Amino acid sequence: MLLPLTLEALLKIALLIAGLMTAAAYFVLLERWIAAWVQDRLGPNRVGVPLTKIRLFGLGQPIADGVKFLFKAEFTPGHVDKFIYFLAPMSIFAAAILVFAVIPFGSALPPNIFPASWGVGEPIQLVAAPGIDVGMIYVFAVGSIAVYGVVLGGWASNNKYSFLGGLRSGAQLISYELPLGLGILGVVLASGSLRLETIISQQAQSGAWNCFLQPLGFLVFAVASFAEAGRLPFDLPEAEQELVGGYHTEYSGIKLMMYLVAEFLHMITASFLIAILFLGGWHFWGLTDGGGPDGNTVTWVVAVLRIIVLLAKVMAMILFFMVVRWSWPRFRYDQLMDIGWKVMIPWGLANLIAVAVWVEYGDRIAHSLGLPPLLCMGLCGFVILLLGWYVATKADPTLNDNRPRRRLISPDRHVEKIEV
Amino acid sequence: MNANDKRIRWVKEPALGMAGKSYLLLFVQGLATTLKHLVSRKKTVQSPEERHEIPDPIIYRGVHRLNRDEQGRVKCVACFLCATACPAHCIDIVAAESPWPDREKYPQSFTIDELRCIYCGLCEEACPVDAIELTSLYDLSGKSREEMIFDKQKLLSIYDQTKDAEPTRTERLKGEGGGGKAE
Amino acid sequence: MHDPHIILILTTLLGAVGLWLMLPRGTHRGRSVGIILTAVALGAGASQLPYLGDWLTESIFGVLAAVTVVSAAATIAFRNPVYCAIWFGLTLLGTAGLFLFAGAQFLAVATIVVYAGAILVTFLFVLMLAQPEGKAAYDRVSWEALLSAVLGMVFVGVLSMAIVGVFTAPREAKERPVAPPAAKELAENVLVPQHVAALGTELFGKHLIAVEVAGALLLAALVGAAVIVAQGKMEEKNERNAQQKRD
Repeated sequence: MLLPLTLEALLKIALLIAGLMTAAAYFVLLERWIAAWVQDRLGPNRVGVPLTKIRLFGLGQPIADGVKFLFKAEFTPGHVDKFIYFLAPMSIFAAAILVFAVIPFGSALPPNIFPASWGVGEPIQLVAAPGIDVGMIYVFAVGSIAVYGVVLGGWASNNKYSFLGGLRSGAQLISYELPLGLGILGVVLASGSLRLETIISQQAQSGAWNCFLQPLGFLVFAVASFAEAGRLPFDLPEAEQELVGGYHTEYSGIKLMMYLVAEFLHMITASFLIAILFLGGWHFWGLTDGGGPDGNTVTWVVAVLRIIVLLAKVMAMILFFMVVRWSWPRFRYDQLMDIGWKVMIPWGLANLIAVAVWVEYGDRIAHSLGLPPLLCMGLCGFVILLLGWYVATKADPTLNDNRPRRRLISPDRHVEKIEV
Repeated sequence: MNANDKRIRWVKEPALGMAGKSYLLLFVQGLATTLKHLVSRKKTVQSPEERHEIPDPIIYRGVHRLNRDEQGRVKCVACFLCATACPAHCIDIVAAESPWPDREKYPQSFTIDELRCIYCGLCEEACPVDAIELTSLYDLSGKSREEMIFDKQKLLSIYDQTKDAEPTRTERLKGEGGGGKAE
Repeated sequence: MHDPHIILILTTLLGAVGLWLMLPRGTHRGRSVGIILTAVALGAGASQLPYLGDWLTESIFGVLAAVTVVSAAATIAFRNPVYCAIWFGLTLLGTAGLFLFAGAQFLAVATIVVYAGAILVTFLFVLMLAQPEGKAAYDRVSWEALLSAVLGMVFVGVLSMAIVGVFTAPREAKERPVAPPAAKELAENVLVPQHVAALGTELFGKHLIAVEVAGALLLAALVGAAVIVAQGKMEEKNERNAQQKRD
């Protein structure tokens, strides 16, 4: 019993790491393609099979990029704090990979993948670490480790731009963890479990995805995860115009690659979480219905279909991430903080309160209105979304009068009067 | 000038209005523009298989050439105006007494460092006899720095290469029936 | 030698001396001796731990415990405050691992979220902004090195003795731990004791008042911070108005 379980876990881990690394490499290519297409260019289309003239639409580009990164001179500046300088990229990379321990990448596989004599009767859950009760908080905890990579990297580089970039993005990541948590809390409260698998299976059972039931929570979570992944319009950590390269200004070679891959992994994590928490995970109406919500009686066809549906949703989210990058300008730093603290957190709280009220009194409200409970909850959710949006628009907390900051003279100094 | 100066006019930012403040409309607009460009026709020229089309080769500023006159001699009279005008100091002329009766001097050697050149076209402007001109060749390359210092022979050979596609200024002006510079 | 108490007392003494030598006292003398003494003390203490059943459990526990203890010692022994903070972070990770090892999933993850994810990062911010180099004398010399080393080790010694007392007590008195329920039961039934829900019930049932009081305290601190910020802004505004009047 121990052998197949260990084998299963190792296989899943190997699959995850191989898949993630390949995915990160190819998402770099995709990012460059989309960047090119949006700017009416063709993008990388030359590198194909190595050592031949076959081009293959440029699909060999990630290999070339990787080889280039590996063989590039890895320069360690003399003024850095060596130990932390090495530690920082490793910590951010490790944290980015560790998150995937609890993120399901499908539903379950039928148990007949092993020989019957091994006695594996249960279907194989497609998570590296199934049965972790606190999956959601685990994601949150490991995600919060990523701040170290950024802050320590900036500090260890011993460079003003790096340091400012590190501090700035540290503040950003910490600030946006709150709305992220509030978005998650709404879902957790509604489904009554911190396990990602349970959250999916509940959405699959009811057929109503959380984005329809809690649109405001969805919005808060999506915006916060953009900020956590450091993607435009929240990519202040490495605003080139202001900070050269931000916290990774002094990094080169394989250490820089660790940072860049970690950034892509954050984006993949964010897409997975959005797909799982709010877009129904592997569920799609009519397509994945057989096999039970827990995957207990799943067949091969349904199992594969579920994986495809989940990955398609994740892919769509990633494409959205990449397209948004070219649609919106970056927020100014004070606007970023204002959006986080004055818009997203109140929205998250409003959503949380609405969900709490619904969990307690929802059935009675729906009964008295004579509507199906889910429809009623969705309607309430959209009403709250519109209300919240309207209030935020009216109050407009991001509008700043920046005159007080232009205090060119101190008040106690004698002011020379100039007659007009 | 201080912040309380009466002459300073504080300009108020234009008000955004509900649509702007709600971000929704702007977001949709931005996304729509991006998506439109995402699927639109690409403008990339796939060099070297495809060549970049130069709309007007006459006014393009590429590699230099030294023009020949009707008898095939170098047109240059070694007046040094181009070398004087050159902001990058990339033109080097050694003048000698002309073997021909119609001019006093001719360039014994005429070299242009194509790596120093900034392709501003001032030499072309300065030349009183339209001897030096910039062609529309844009993809010059070499394996060493020395190779990129073009001498008289090389510059004349560029004229031989491009004279059919790009007539000299003198020929063009002749075609228009004018004489002298057109300014 | 068979009395674990004697070994533990020796461990405590050794550890106290070693720790004192290791602490930054303004001199480098005796640091390596301190490291050796502390290591010996740790080894002696570890030899008194009960065997956990099989080599896998034993080695996992050993690694986690070693990481936690060594990094905790490094936290107080290093001179650069930023390094101290990083070692403290490693201590927290080790502690979280030990919690996870003991089956307290929520506690493990909450330790990381609260301490490593929020508090320590704030520490780091302050350390980096206030003393980027950590060159100030008060940062480089520990305060009352001898007293803190002795007190700390005595505390550890007393705790270990109490725990050894539990381990060496007659087997019959010890209650067998309840086997964790199957994963399926956990997923379907939220009221299984091991589930996070149990913790929530405990917190918001038995200890409701304590939780609410703690929450109110934190809220008061938050409001206080907001008031301080608002006051600064008000002063700025008054100054500006006064200035405008003067003009």
